[in-house]
Amino acid sequence: MRRGDETEPGLRPRQLFTEVPVLWQLLPQAVLDGLLIGGVYITVALGFSLAFGVMHIIDFAVGEWIMLGAFLGYYLQRWTGLDPLALLPVVFAVFTAVGYVIQPVIHRAVSGRRGNPVLMGLVFTFGLMLAIRGAGLTVFGFFSHSIPSALSARSLFLEAGGLFVTVPAIRLFGFVYAIGITAVLHWVLRRTDFGLAVRALAQNRDAAGLMGINARRIGSWVYGIHVGVSAMTGVVIGSIFSISAQMGGDYTILAFFVVVLAGMGYLAGVPWAAFLLGLVQSLFLVYGNPSYTLLAVFAILYLILLVSPKGLFAKGV
Amino acid sequence: MQRSRALWAGIAAGVFAVIPLLTRDTFALRVVTEAMMWIGLAVAWDVLGGYTGYLNFGHGAFFGLGAYTTAVLMMRGHWPFALALVAGGVTAGAAAVVAGLPTLRLKGAYFAIATWALSRAVQQLALVLEFTGGPDGMRLPPFLNPMFFYYLMWALVTAIFVVLWILLERSAFGLKLQAIREDEEGAMALGLRPTAIKVQAFVLSTVPAGILGGVYAYWITFIDPASVLGDLVTDQSVVMAVFGGLGTLVGPAVGAVLIYAFKTFFWAYLSEYQVLYLIILGTVIALSVVFLPDGLIGLMARRRIKEPAEPEPADEDSQGLREVAP
Repeated sequence: MRRGDETEPGLRPRQLFTEVPVLWQLLPQAVLDGLLIGGVYITVALGFSLAFGVMHIIDFAVGEWIMLGAFLGYYLQRWTGLDPLALLPVVFAVFTAVGYVIQPVIHRAVSGRRGNPVLMGLVFTFGLMLAIRGAGLTVFGFFSHSIPSALSARSLFLEAGGLFVTVPAIRLFGFVYAIGITAVLHWVLRRTDFGLAVRALAQNRDAAGLMGINARRIGSWVYGIHVGVSAMTGVVIGSIFSISAQMGGDYTILAFFVVVLAGMGYLAGVPWAAFLLGLVQSLFLVYGNPSYTLLAVFAILYLILLVSPKGLFAKGV
Repeated sequence: MQRSRALWAGIAAGVFAVIPLLTRDTFALRVVTEAMMWIGLAVAWDVLGGYTGYLNFGHGAFFGLGAYTTAVLMMRGHWPFALALVAGGVTAGAAAVVAGLPTLRLKGAYFAIATWALSRAVQQLALVLEFTGGPDGMRLPPFLNPMFFYYLMWALVTAIFVVLWILLERSAFGLKLQAIREDEEGAMALGLRPTAIKVQAFVLSTVPAGILGGVYAYWITFIDPASVLGDLVTDQSVVMAVFGGLGTLVGPAVGAVLIYAFKTFFWAYLSEYQVLYLIILGTVIALSVVFLPDGLIGLMARRRIKEPAEPEPADEDSQGLREVAP
């Protein structure tokens, strides 16, 4: 490997395997990439964690909602010519409505007389996942697309002390979007009557019902918000990476990893778990073998389950 | 009722045993062989899914582990088939212990997620490793004897069914599993060790899957991550068990025959619409949960209890009749 490669920021990092100084130069970029992408993982897992915390529903279809949202963004962008990021509220509204309508069916599945309602909910969302994936493959085909945004081509370059970092504008947007959604959700949960009702429901369903909270309506809204946020995140992901009808499974597994790391149903742990996952992935991509990334993440998950099964903060259920 | 079900199962095994005497059509033999394999897979899945109440969404990973172990040992290690098959079952069981120990201590949701993730990890592992052939898969020495595989599959599936029937319906082990499913703390108070029992059930469920995977590999003579480690094995096992009836042995077997027959016709006549099959599978699972929580078998049992001669299960099922009736 030639010396000149060191100053070439566009070169793929893993080709520079042997040179130690280059590896050190790559560290800030790797950390930054990890944090930026970890931000997006927050929103991948946030709705999922909320739905579990409040209704004890494990939504196996979370990745499929992301896929459907991404494709809605893709087609809307082609029809209207607007920037996909301007269409986020539309996607959110459409899929919140979808989730609101589906929740009563899930409620029926989990409130049957079968012993373990959580498991019936699991089987139901597993079936939902298969049906949506099949529908997606039928309608959208097997090809990959990308959702072009005005931000896609722009980047910021930063330089300090001989170290370069590149910040793609679209990834920065994804990060800001994720932090924004997290902040809004935090505000809703902590400062509004609706949020109070949701927290009451999560704490004790029966007592909340006695206090006059309509568990079904609130549950429908919570599932709607989960589906809406996931779908919106799909559009952001589509403009950062690419979209295809098979993408759902990859994001379902990401959501699982983040939520198990955070502790199931422990919403406040989600951002930290997402950042950790993003960092691990991006560092492994640079310093390890990229095809082993998923396996490395799986090994970490296994160790966490072994040592602290309720997540990094031991606050899960 | 249990006795009559065992009788029907025995008759079914007898029918399967004489089919090759009636037809020499290799396609028909092949279809029936695979149908028996799915019976074995669905029944094995139900040990954990139905009896214990822990959903294994990575059944395909254990099937694939068995298939790959058998293939690798036969091709790279030149082991005889029988030994490699045993090794396939052992590998699947060992993987179940490793995966089950941390996750079966926890609630079922963790286990479902972990097994689903495990199946993804095993797929990835088979894709990146050298000795598994990566995405190209592996070819095994062809052994083109349909009758051999037919009767091997028949013997294995019958053995699996009998062993599971003895353990789950005729011994305390099945009652322990059901006690854990209904009330884990209560079972613990009675002196059971739930985690150990659940791990045993997991092994009992995955060893058959691994062995069937090994037979499948030698029978089809070609395996790759998409065929034996893809999600379809898991998806079909789940839908067969749920549709047929969780927590029984006959239910998943009936579900397996019906779903597999449907799949065969669907792929034979509508092969251009293969992805539609996923929609149908998903819809069947979701609708079964909402409208048929006890599966087809539950439907039959419900009709049966109207006869006064069956007082034993009436208590539980009549309650179900009231609640399920719209």
